Amino acid sequence: MDSITQKDVIRIMELVEKTDTDELHLEMGDLKLTIRKGVAAESMPSMPALETTSMPVARDVSAPAPGLEKADQGAAPDMFEDRTDGVLTIKAPMLGTFYKAPKPGAAPFVEVGQIVDKEDTVCVIEVMKLFSTITAGVQGRIVKVLVEDSQMVEFNQPLFLVEAVTVKEAPAKRKIS
Amino acid sequence: MTRISRVLIANRGEIALRVIRACREMDIETVLTVSEADRLSLPAQMADRSVCIGPPLSSQSYLKVDTIIAAAIGVGADAIHPGYGFLAEQPELAKACAKYGLIFIGPRAEHIKQMGDKIFARQVAVDTGISIIPGSQLIGDYRQAAEFADQTGYPVLLKAAAGGGGKGMKIVKNPADLRVAFNEASAEARSAFGDERLYLEHYIENARHVEIQLFGDGHGNVVHLFERDCSLQRRYQKLVEEAPSEALDPGLREKVCRAAVKIAAQIEYQNAGTVEFIFDRDQEQFYFLEMNTRIQVEHPVTEQITGIDLVKEQFGVAAGNPLSFEQKDVNFVGHAIECRINAESPENNFLPSPGKIEQWIAPEGDNIRLDSHCFPGYVVPPFYDSLLGKIIVTGSSRSEAIAEMSAALRRFQISGIHTNIPFHRQIMDHPDYQTGEINTRWIENRLAKEHHFHEDD
Repeated sequence: MDSITQKDVIRIMELVEKTDTDELHLEMGDLKLTIRKGVAAESMPSMPALETTSMPVARDVSAPAPGLEKADQGAAPDMFEDRTDGVLTIKAPMLGTFYKAPKPGAAPFVEVGQIVDKEDTVCVIEVMKLFSTITAGVQGRIVKVLVEDSQMVEFNQPLFLVEAVTVKEAPAKRKIS
Repeated sequence: MTRISRVLIANRGEIALRVIRACREMDIETVLTVSEADRLSLPAQMADRSVCIGPPLSSQSYLKVDTIIAAAIGVGADAIHPGYGFLAEQPELAKACAKYGLIFIGPRAEHIKQMGDKIFARQVAVDTGISIIPGSQLIGDYRQAAEFADQTGYPVLLKAAAGGGGKGMKIVKNPADLRVAFNEASAEARSAFGDERLYLEHYIENARHVEIQLFGDGHGNVVHLFERDCSLQRRYQKLVEEAPSEALDPGLREKVCRAAVKIAAQIEYQNAGTVEFIFDRDQEQFYFLEMNTRIQVEHPVTEQITGIDLVKEQFGVAAGNPLSFEQKDVNFVGHAIECRINAESPENNFLPSPGKIEQWIAPEGDNIRLDSHCFPGYVVPPFYDSLLGKIIVTGSSRSEAIAEMSAALRRFQISGIHTNIPFHRQIMDHPDYQTGEINTRWIENRLAKEHHFHEDD
């Protein structure tokens, strides 16, 4: 047998998932297959590289917006685009003032080390006295809070870094290359 | 008087860059609001800082008053410059600025509101003794339209009360066509503005669009900076503007400039504004059209012949200073022409042509000014208007300016997207334009019939 079907790939992935193996490499002639479990894949089959001019030279930029600009203008903004190091990002869905707690002095919604679910509130953002509750949108452990309380955040500015944790039911993310 | 030290520029494209340039010369820090589509734009790189306010669609970014105010407060700006378009003539932004202690670099909210209401604006003109085009107040139904049309005489023009940009506008040459036009215009007005109300006025066939640049300072001074002739339009969108207008002799010029000042003085107008008139060439009669309460796209032609920087003056007046010049100081020298370079395909019914600019080689010269945010490699986003920039040339006479413009357009090399440069070249080289035998319908009636607008490169 010198070819491998999509069905075979799915079967292999199922097998890998049942074992303790984290990663599997398979080479058959021209075909190379890599299956990796756990944290988000380093890179999806590479997106066409985006031409970016150098970032604006700006002083006092609060959000250098790492790895931004998928200049696929028109598509919905990819707010939870994976970073290349497998760390997930929670980004601001609007420009406004970031508050880490429901009111001054109260305990913050989330702290570093805490595990959040997609529906968990992580902060509120205020625009002209209108407060919006922001949910995590991802599942994992908060590893870093990137902004200060009461700071203005821009649209799509990264707010939290989240490390994906493999919960029992969490589906494994796979990479096929 | 207040010192403006940091301004939030709530706009994009060439006008954002124009404001940034003025601020640099005045040592004012600039913060630019950008949508996601404009994060890497030239003005975003030129501003001291940029702030992303939302997704590409302007309804979710550039048109959001609350977000823009929050951004201004968040970055510690003390003023907002709205540019033109977007929120420039929305009283809500000016009002919100007043509420939050920010300086709005433009007129007061009530003037934006008043002059934005065409019926009110016409009344101000009437009150100051300035003619308006014979026509009706609002018309309720077809029967009333027919009655008014008989009174004013055909041809008539149906216009949307909430209108702008040519939507809901219909020219009716004879009574038999009125019913169909009335229904079409109401339907267009309803779909464009959510308001089907129309009014009707006498249609002037041989018309020039002449507008007067004004400046008021709220200290009792209103001065004019002469006229611009913006008769070359296509579907009511200006394409070529020039100053002065060769249709005016000094007597007429004096008369129309005075009329414009009177209107602005009547409401104690503050900051830059423009009063538009329709000039009936056959009757040598002026009619008030409307007042624009913003800096206009075509402001550079006025700057070129008067030597006055209108954008800088906007900052001074907004900060509470009196005008830096008096009427007697304002003179003009030479002749300036501006061509609006749009990303559109004239040969394809002016279809917008967004995309990546591969080559952008702009003409240069002592008499050439280019206000543009484009560069080789820039991707023109599909979300906004198609203006790539404005080329402005100045000559000692009109014919010299035309020759200069024609030569400059020939040297302008853009590839990757379609532009209307070939169309502008045809205008500059046309005997009708060179001899001034043009009017507001000339492009549609004459030029469009003579050419098929083939790109010849």
